[in-house]
Amino acid sequence: MKVSLNWLKDYVKIPEDMDLKRLAFDLTMSTVEVEGVTELARSFDGIVVGEIREVQPHPNADRLRVCRVDIGDGEIRDIVCGGSNLEAGMKVVVACPGSYVRWHGEGEPVEIKNTKLRGVASYGMICASSEVGLEDLFPAREEAEIMDLSEFDAPAGTSLAKALELDDVILEIDNKSMTNRPDLWGHYGIAREIAALYDLPLIRFQPFDPGETARFPIRIEDPERCPRYMGVQMDGVEVKPAPFRMQSRIWRVGMRPINALVDITNYVMLAVGQPTHVFDSDNISDYIQVRRAGAGEELLLLNDKSLALTEDDLVIADSEGAVALAGVMGGAKDSVLPTTRRVILEIANFEAAGVRRTALRYDNRTEASSRYEKGVDPERCDIALSLAMSLFGEMYPDVKVKAFADQYPNKLVQKELDVELGWLSRRLGKQIPNEQIAAKLGLLGFTVTFTEDAMHIVVPTWRSTGDVGIKADIMEEVARMYGYENFEPTTIVTSFEGAINQLDQDLLRRIKEYLAFRCGMQEVFTYPWMQDTYVEAILQSTEGVLKLSTPPAPDESYIRSSLLPNLCRAVAENERYFGSFDIFEEAQVFKDENYTSPYDEREKLPSQRRHIAGAFAGSAEDVMGLFRRAKGVVENMPRMTHMEEFTLRHQEKPVWADETVWLNVYLGEKKAGDLALLSRKASMAAGIRNLAAVFFELDADAFQPLRSRTNTFTHLAEYPTIDYDLSMLFDADTKWEQIRAAALKKKNQESFLQDVDFVDEYKGSQIPAGRKSVTMRLTIGSGTKTLKSDEIEKCAGSVIRQLEKDLGGEMRR
Amino acid sequence: MKEKIAKLLAEGEAAILRAKNESELQEVKGSILGRQGVLTQLLKEIPKLDAQLRPEIGRVVNEAKARLGGLIDSRREELKLKAAQVPEDFDYTLPGIRPPMGGLHPITQMRYDLDDAFRSMGFEIYQEDDITSELYAFDKLNFPPNHPARESMDTYWLEGHDTGDAAEKLCLRPHLTGGSVRYMQTHKPPYRFVYPGRVYRNETTDARHERAFFQYEALIVDKDFTFTAGKVMIKSILSKVFGRDVPVRMRAGFFPFVEPGFEIDMGCLVCGGKGCSVCKHVGWIEIMPGGTPHPNVLRAAGLDPDEYTGFYVNIGLDRLVMMRYGVDDVRLFHSADLRFLQQFH
Repeated sequence: MKVSLNWLKDYVKIPEDMDLKRLAFDLTMSTVEVEGVTELARSFDGIVVGEIREVQPHPNADRLRVCRVDIGDGEIRDIVCGGSNLEAGMKVVVACPGSYVRWHGEGEPVEIKNTKLRGVASYGMICASSEVGLEDLFPAREEAEIMDLSEFDAPAGTSLAKALELDDVILEIDNKSMTNRPDLWGHYGIAREIAALYDLPLIRFQPFDPGETARFPIRIEDPERCPRYMGVQMDGVEVKPAPFRMQSRIWRVGMRPINALVDITNYVMLAVGQPTHVFDSDNISDYIQVRRAGAGEELLLLNDKSLALTEDDLVIADSEGAVALAGVMGGAKDSVLPTTRRVILEIANFEAAGVRRTALRYDNRTEASSRYEKGVDPERCDIALSLAMSLFGEMYPDVKVKAFADQYPNKLVQKELDVELGWLSRRLGKQIPNEQIAAKLGLLGFTVTFTEDAMHIVVPTWRSTGDVGIKADIMEEVARMYGYENFEPTTIVTSFEGAINQLDQDLLRRIKEYLAFRCGMQEVFTYPWMQDTYVEAILQSTEGVLKLSTPPAPDESYIRSSLLPNLCRAVAENERYFGSFDIFEEAQVFKDENYTSPYDEREKLPSQRRHIAGAFAGSAEDVMGLFRRAKGVVENMPRMTHMEEFTLRHQEKPVWADETVWLNVYLGEKKAGDLALLSRKASMAAGIRNLAAVFFELDADAFQPLRSRTNTFTHLAEYPTIDYDLSMLFDADTKWEQIRAAALKKKNQESFLQDVDFVDEYKGSQIPAGRKSVTMRLTIGSGTKTLKSDEIEKCAGSVIRQLEKDLGGEMRR
Repeated sequence: MKEKIAKLLAEGEAAILRAKNESELQEVKGSILGRQGVLTQLLKEIPKLDAQLRPEIGRVVNEAKARLGGLIDSRREELKLKAAQVPEDFDYTLPGIRPPMGGLHPITQMRYDLDDAFRSMGFEIYQEDDITSELYAFDKLNFPPNHPARESMDTYWLEGHDTGDAAEKLCLRPHLTGGSVRYMQTHKPPYRFVYPGRVYRNETTDARHERAFFQYEALIVDKDFTFTAGKVMIKSILSKVFGRDVPVRMRAGFFPFVEPGFEIDMGCLVCGGKGCSVCKHVGWIEIMPGGTPHPNVLRAAGLDPDEYTGFYVNIGLDRLVMMRYGVDDVRLFHSADLRFLQQFH
């Protein structure tokens, strides 16, 4: 919202020497955020009123003229101009060299320089209204029309800003910072805050006295939705431009002047925050009725939108039908036309939520509806009426009030509160003297009476529509008026009850740090919604998957039941730039099942579990390497992050997995996730072109953190142990787990075998078809002596024989 | 003759020290002590000398020979130890071999920095579910029934759960504060916890607006806690995170779940408060909303608002990270684009 400093000065005596930065700062700290302070006159620097003395033809151009112009500095200047309405004696806008204008009203402002136009020297430029940004106030009737200031009582040389009273300051207020303050949506409200901040007097409006007039027939059918309705029927008006001063004010705060009748309504709204409306009285039949619309009732708005209404919409109607959408917009039928001579002025109060629903229903929010939906108080109709009637009087000296009515069936109840003074000073951390509290609250319109240890407060009407209702609100009023910056910082006092020990939180962080720093994976974030392409590639079914009502995109309506579809998308997208990379994500996944809530028995929340998933993308040439790397990351996670161990089984193939390369991750007897190579089919469907990808996904909510470290210390070996490498041939489908298990059968009391590790596996030309060579490393040693070579050979030999017997192994020669 | 020997000795010593490697040294040795060596030549001349002089000169030459021989041996040992293990053109400017590239998301990094800072002040870490009901997203937080945030244009409601009773109407959480009520319901006061998490808003995205972003909520609830103590808390946290003293100011602000509410600004770190394009020339950057929990919120959590009060802030992690690194497009955070993420290792 734009606020004019000059306009504010109508209501509160702001000292002439007020530092504007200070004002903006104080308002920002205590009331609303002032986002900008613009001195309007600045944009008119070097632009003055000039009087044309003579208009001569241009020697070299038919469409240009050479004007002899007085700009008040004692010299007569030649200015070349192509304007269509140039005349001797006309007052025009002259942009002197050094000033800035917008060429033909377009683009960025450019600096005016002394120049020659077709061979004739020109001092500056005579401007059209659009060139100085005043097209709304001085609309041009034709393209080359020059702005005419002849009507203005300003001698040549007067600065344009002064001539047009544009020496104003505009405060730009962030609307978001006052959504809760319906009283601030007009100059008067802001003026009241300034009065309170600086202890200045605020002017009051004199109530309007309609005198002895006929009673205008008004019927309010729904007092809940329309607590008050005032109607003033007037004769002796006409459609004409408003005086420049009013137009200028409206324009300065960002609205467009239309005509005097419409401008009065806008002016009142901008002044006191109360929307008003004028109907052409000749188009209103018999009476005004405020009622709910019938289902399907039609209404043509004045912006030519045709609506089929619902029973929830409130309309203003006459005996023939709806004429306006209450609080939102007038209808086409009753609107003010050039022929209008009689009007009905509406000053009414409509309930906030209803106006909001209607405005949203038809996507038709207006200056009026956005004010009503904040909760305007019905008492404000009085000052709006007072201001409106004085403006009608000024603009139409012959205006006559023919009929008047003020229906107020639903009177506003002012809030009353009792605030304990001890509570207040405890919460503020400071004792503020009663007189000071009373003075500031008084300036804001609160009535305060003190008892011994409390104060009784009557909230002003304009703060009683939901804004102020509890004692914490009063504390806020006191604190903000005292100035938040004026409270000394206080220390935080605490009691110690024990160290914080959050095993689950610590585990989650250790896992992420393990994946990032030990395993070299990059953490990524993706959205909770999934694109259909990846849902189809990975999940292949949407059963049990939750959906958004209004998704961010039509093909992103499902929310994730697994982290893999989005991780798969991340692989596909990063494949363009990287040949090999490892990523992981931690987030919640959702399923349409197990509805329950531990917090409120009425609440039904779906299954939500925290998952951790990773993707290893690399060359399709070395799937085994990729898979073993991924497996190593999963296998070692429990030990390195201190949680209960996993076991890996080959039990249930994930739908997205390759036929062979997959494992399930178990915690005890419960499945906690999968680890697998993405199938070729899923890879193709996801648009992964070249790389192979191994994924894992784990249910982190199932993880059991260890209470403390469980590593145990073993003494370092006193006698040497020997690494004994062994290469043997087995059938190609023999699994390492089988080989190791068979070999370890020889680890017993009598044997010196300590461990068996995998070294290498080979299939190829030097190996018989259907066989593979496996190299393993036996660790052989004794805790009591140094072994002799025959003891070592004997131990290895027993392992070899076991493998020959159990698995058909054969020493490689 | 003696002078000649002395000169030869001096030159020999210098040549030995000049030898940079064993082969050079071998050459020097040959030139002095070899068959054609200068000293060997000299020895051959002794018999031609006057008989009286012979013993004396012979002794001097032999001394010189022994001395140079010793010097060559010790120089050889020295050169052996010094000898390069690689050719001399070894290129020590080749890049080091990089450890595995991996890292935490920049938002996670900031989150952990904040976690550490808050934990050092005795705060617990709390996490809650992403899907919540209207009851906790709005009703318990004192949002009026017609508040615009409840509408589908602002909140992501779930299909099939978007009508009916507030407890059964489900959405992706639009903020974290509802979860804080859950915490309070299930724990005993006083409270001191932080609550990091992702929140969701149905809006049009651009460089400054996202549909999914991170918040970091901190809540203290205690008896007679004043908002001025809250300011101390924020100041010390921000100073710890940014590694320097950060000016903080609180000004009037409105949020349904606090009363009074504040907008909390931090001094612009780019210009030091003088005003620059980052802070729109005001010297301050709006960094978080805060305030005292609204009595209705405390009541919803089962507390007596006359007894308990507190302080709440909600830090926008995305904005804080953008400040930290000068990131100018919030949408990058959820892009999973490694070209972006790898910049924050």
